[in-house]
Amino acid sequence: MKEKLRKIIDPLLGVLRIKKALVSIIVLLAVVVIGIIGPIVYPVDPTSTTGPPERPPSKQYPLGTDTFGRDVLAQVLHGIRSSLYIGLTAGLIALAIGTMVGSIAGYSGGLTDDTLTLLIRVFYIFPSILLMILIAAYVRYRTPLLVALIIGITSWPDLALCVRSQILSLKEREFVYMSKISGYSGIKIILEDLLPNMLSYIFMYFVMLLAGAMLSEAGLSMIGVGVTKGVSLGIILYWAEAMDAVRRGLWWWFIPPGAILVAIASSLLMLSTALDEYFNPRLREE
Amino acid sequence: MLKRRRLYRSLLIFLSRKAFFAVAAYFIFLTIIFLVPRLIPGNPLALLLSQLYRQAQANPETIRECYKRLMEQFEMNKPLWKQYIDFIIRTFKGDLGVSISMFPTKVIDIIMLNLPWTLGLLLPATIISWIFGNLLGALAAYKRKTATDNVLLTIFIILSQTPYYWLAMLLLFLFAAKYRIFPVGGTYSLGMVPSFTLSFIIDYLKHLALPLLSIVIGAIGGWAIGMRSMMIYEIGSDYVIFSKTLGLPHRKIMSYAFRSAILPQITGLATSLGTILGGALITELVFNYQGMGLVLFRALSSLDYPLIQGTYVILAATLVLATFIIDLLYSLIDPRIRTGAEGS
Repeated sequence: MKEKLRKIIDPLLGVLRIKKALVSIIVLLAVVVIGIIGPIVYPVDPTSTTGPPERPPSKQYPLGTDTFGRDVLAQVLHGIRSSLYIGLTAGLIALAIGTMVGSIAGYSGGLTDDTLTLLIRVFYIFPSILLMILIAAYVRYRTPLLVALIIGITSWPDLALCVRSQILSLKEREFVYMSKISGYSGIKIILEDLLPNMLSYIFMYFVMLLAGAMLSEAGLSMIGVGVTKGVSLGIILYWAEAMDAVRRGLWWWFIPPGAILVAIASSLLMLSTALDEYFNPRLREE
Repeated sequence: MLKRRRLYRSLLIFLSRKAFFAVAAYFIFLTIIFLVPRLIPGNPLALLLSQLYRQAQANPETIRECYKRLMEQFEMNKPLWKQYIDFIIRTFKGDLGVSISMFPTKVIDIIMLNLPWTLGLLLPATIISWIFGNLLGALAAYKRKTATDNVLLTIFIILSQTPYYWLAMLLLFLFAAKYRIFPVGGTYSLGMVPSFTLSFIIDYLKHLALPLLSIVIGAIGGWAIGMRSMMIYEIGSDYVIFSKTLGLPHRKIMSYAFRSAILPQITGLATSLGTILGGALITELVFNYQGMGLVLFRALSSLDYPLIQGTYVILAATLVLATFIIDLLYSLIDPRIRTGAEGS
């Protein structure tokens, strides 16, 4: 048991020894803690008028207020929470679909592969705005979960293609032949032989999916099809844009949400880069 | 001779397979962009008619007559499958129909009016960011394991994760709201007429500067990261190690590595150029810049079926074509890809 635990903990400690990984993990932890504890420590309602309109940052309103007298800091704190939630949910959905489609396509080959590759191609150029508008027309309001679902089911094709090509090269290895000769089923070979070999790769990809989903949320919000229930970082930017905050110089309204979004997304990419260096001996810094 | 013939045959099979799947993907895409807008509740004609009613003060009788005529004009009284077949046939004939929200302008005319501005923004932005991104990425790889590389990589990472539109907002705030160096938006000043005169070009460039800059800064990071990792991969490969043991000068080896590393980046550039026709939706929104993104936005918000279809038809066509051309070029350059396809 102790041996097994060691096997898991040792690589983790190794990752932490890379400066890039350490810095990005610290930033991410800080943001997550702020997102979880923030709304409790600073219990101001982000969606109701709690002060005078368009006040710059002051002691009473640390990040100022917006056109409707709502507290921007409260919005940002709640926004971090839902943006992280959307990123995580959408990332997991895309991860599940992408890995499944990619590995089945790569392992089966033949007609199954062709059909699935066609599916991947179609989703590649699928206009997610159109899907968002369609679904938006049938629901009362768009919750973070709904937005996460839509981002999740439109952002997996990239991963599927990568998993497919990885499986294509892995399945020619001897240990896979051994399993085949032993009579293992295709699913069992994928789950027990192929996927564990790409775990680090898939994890790195998941980190990037997370960042991508959070940025997509902001993008959808900016087009006007973001969440209508709750506050996300993207929707704050949308409100600021809609109220012309940029041209009127209300910098406290649109700089903090964007900056936090960039901080989260770039530390995720930094983490992924560090992991790549750690797992890929060719890139390791001696 | 025989060998050569076999090579051509395998190339032909490979390409026809690729072409088949490209066409199939395009067909499914056409079906989606036909169906999905029609599943969205709402009648695009209602908006047009209410406008007509307000402007012309026509009596209800005339409006009803108009509605009937328009239903016929847009073939919305026909069953859905008939509309669909008509749409497919007309698309392949190159007829994109007439816009509803900007009746009676042809869709192709609207696209032709807005496309030059999108190209004027995205073509230079993509190429400039590609060139600088590759150079900076190669520099970082060249200076690997030094402080320069660390700083550059961090900057690349942050830039690549910064949304264009947020950069656009920052630039607008700094250079248009705070310091009034550039205009706050639009494509050209009100009252100007697009022409090839010096005063118009200067005015246009002033309006172009901030959107262009926001896209260039936002895109450089991604290109640079790609180039850096490609270079590092090349530097670790056998031929570089061999050249090093031969004692070739460092600069020369790097130039070899650069040449191999740039290949995938060219593919990336081609894909990127393939999506240009869609415009930069949010950037165009933020700057109120007249382009394909705004056209699509207006089409979507007024549920203008022909205009939605028209913009997507062209966008997807260039994208599919770009991927197909990349596949084709790659199979010509790298025979392994062809034979791999033959084997399966």
